[in-house]
Amino acid sequence: MTVGPRLFSILRQGTCLIASIHTALDDSQLLRFQEDLIATIGRDRARGVVIDVAALDVLDSFATSTLRDIGEMARLRGAATVIVGIQPDVAIAMVRLGLRTGVLETALDLEEGLALLGDRMAGSPAARR
Amino acid sequence: MRSVPRVAGGGADSRDGGSLPGMPAPAPAGPPPERRRPLDVAALIPIVRRIVAARVPDRATADDLVQETLARVLAAVERIEPGMVEPYAIVTARNVVATMWRDQDRQRRHQHRVVDLRPPQLPDEDVLAEEDRAAMAEALTRLSERERSTLLAHEVSGQDTHSLAAELGSTAGAVAAQLNRTRARLRVEYLLAADRVEPPTPRCRPVLLALSSGDRRRQREVDAARHLLECEVCARLSEPLMGRGRSRDDEVRVAVHADADVVAARQAARDLATRLGFSPTDLTGIATAVSEVVRNIVRFADAGEVLVELLDSPRRGIRIIARDSGPGIPDVQEALRDGYSTYRGLGLGLPGARRLMDEFAVASEPGRGTTVTMTKWREDA
Amino acid sequence: MSTEDDQDTGEVAAGAAPDDEILLPQLVAHLREHRNRLRQEWVGRIDQAHLLQAMTSQEVAAETTSVYDNYVEVLETGSVGALQHYARDLSERIIPRGVETDEVVGIVLLLRDVLARSLFEKYQRDLPLLNRVLDAYEPAANRIANTVAGSFVDERERVIRQQQDSIRELSTPVLRVRERLLILPIIGVLDRERARQLTEQLLTGIRAHRARVVVIDITGVPDVDEAVANHLVQTVDASRLMGASVIITGLSPEIAQTLVMIGVDLSRMDTIGDLQGGLEEAERLLGYTVTRDSEAAGP
Repeated sequence: MTVGPRLFSILRQGTCLIASIHTALDDSQLLRFQEDLIATIGRDRARGVVIDVAALDVLDSFATSTLRDIGEMARLRGAATVIVGIQPDVAIAMVRLGLRTGVLETALDLEEGLALLGDRMAGSPAARR
Repeated sequence: MRSVPRVAGGGADSRDGGSLPGMPAPAPAGPPPERRRPLDVAALIPIVRRIVAARVPDRATADDLVQETLARVLAAVERIEPGMVEPYAIVTARNVVATMWRDQDRQRRHQHRVVDLRPPQLPDEDVLAEEDRAAMAEALTRLSERERSTLLAHEVSGQDTHSLAAELGSTAGAVAAQLNRTRARLRVEYLLAADRVEPPTPRCRPVLLALSSGDRRRQREVDAARHLLECEVCARLSEPLMGRGRSRDDEVRVAVHADADVVAARQAARDLATRLGFSPTDLTGIATAVSEVVRNIVRFADAGEVLVELLDSPRRGIRIIARDSGPGIPDVQEALRDGYSTYRGLGLGLPGARRLMDEFAVASEPGRGTTVTMTKWREDA
Repeated sequence: MSTEDDQDTGEVAAGAAPDDEILLPQLVAHLREHRNRLRQEWVGRIDQAHLLQAMTSQEVAAETTSVYDNYVEVLETGSVGALQHYARDLSERIIPRGVETDEVVGIVLLLRDVLARSLFEKYQRDLPLLNRVLDAYEPAANRIANTVAGSFVDERERVIRQQQDSIRELSTPVLRVRERLLILPIIGVLDRERARQLTEQLLTGIRAHRARVVVIDITGVPDVDEAVANHLVQTVDASRLMGASVIITGLSPEIAQTLVMIGVDLSRMDTIGDLQGGLEEAERLLGYTVTRDSEAAGP
């Protein structure tokens, strides 16, 4: 378990990781979040990751592309990623900006996100549960 | 005493006053070219000597300066109107003396720097204080006599504006206003003196002065923002002046150097916009647009500035002006098209920000910098 | 203004320097003194002109008294602040009663004339003085008329805007059909402003009801053009970012084809012909997950 200095936290729950961002992050901090998270996924052999972005005031092009990168890297390490907590105003700004999360899955909140991961992991051939 | 040195007519060699001691022969003695007017330099010696002697007591130095003056006059003689040689010599003599003073002064001021090089690193407080004093003294000399005496009377002797007004035959308000202007000038002159630079363009002083006095109308008139992008000296000097005149609470300025400033700028914009009662959707849209635009500064220009201001007319709204002095955008039209990307973003920076705002304009000059101006209006205001 | 001197005794202006500073207070004193009579006369004129018919005579009496007093106060102080405030207040009260702009302007103009006539009667024996009195009175009176009319119009626009907003809200209800399923039937023209509100409402609804699937029915939207379609695409995308799938119903195949031809990307939209089909699909989507939780439902 890695805990960043107040900016974000990465907690383990079963075979999943719950990564929560606690405050608005600048680009360097986002990159550090990415590094920490990917390292943790590898170390813990996590099967799924829920990233809670509810505290992000803005999801601009950089933040979105970072999330997509995380999703892609996690996939290569065998973990599914779900983004949760995108607020209505943030979602609207994102689509007006022209952003999509692409292949990333999204869910309303942590609970929904974990449920979705459960579905995915149960549905995949390698599911153990 | 001869009032005006005569220019001898014809082409006769007129060096009749004997040669000048210690001075290289100023002109070929042979038959001069047509445009060369013979000059009775020796005739100038008494007056130049008198001027110099009145200012410089040391005789040897005075002699040097007289020579120097005459040399300069001779060098310039072709450019001098007939009849103007003597006045020219007088002015030159004064300048030469003043230059010597300045040099001495400079030497004195710079002496500590010579010393300064030997003890390494540790910034010596005394030296800094001395530099500071010197700069301030220099700045004070650049004020007019009246400005200086009024300011000193007020700041140093503690004389209040009322009694100053009485002395000057003015009003307290006018004196206070003048003091403010003087302080603004003093700040500018101090910065120039401390930095030991002369402003490279005639626009520099007015711009710095407008910034120093925090006079926004004046800043617009002299197009201060543009100038700061173009003039390195002013950009550097103006930094301590930037905060001035921020008594207005309907604008915020954020200097942009690093990643963290992107977050600071968008939060400043959101905070200010909140006061106008924008919906959460609009607030986030504004913050997102600011984020995109300011990131460009960090990515491409290293440094810049964001000004966020609330607008009253024609409607209520918020305007964001993001400036940088970076390499500029070669093709603005291209940059506004979806998909344009030169970094690891999604190529949505500018076109995306444009979609989030109501008005959007990019002005860019290669090598000079880029200014993005964007506005969001309140729907029903 | 003070070019001619009064030769007459001029009982009112006797000995006074004939300028506004003296004239206006005199005028104000006169209007105060005859307040009741002049107000009655004014109300009579209002009645004759069939104005303010929507109000009872007590209401008319009360309001006219206030207007009269405010009117005189403006003449006295030269400041329209209080009158403006009152006018806005008055407008707020009488607009719901159906009082129209021309009525409000009408009664203020009537008051102006009633008072002007009374001044005329008072000063008619001294024409130069009368002229000066009217010179002082008229600009002030016109300013008052403008203020009242302006306040009324402002207030009226505000009320109209408010009504439009609430109509808009009513016209895009977010309905919860069952657990995790919302329907958004859109009826009427979908302009930019409405599309914006609709999206906001839908997203708030998704969060409030924790919806997983949303059916947007656009059968009632007359023109589905490029702009409308792009609004829909954005709404679908934003909903998806919040974890909800969207099904669009009521988009005819012909229109869908046209949209694709003009370049609208419909691939990201799940479209189904009619609402019934859309609901079935929604059930299926929900049922897929519900079945796994062994709470079998759906087809």
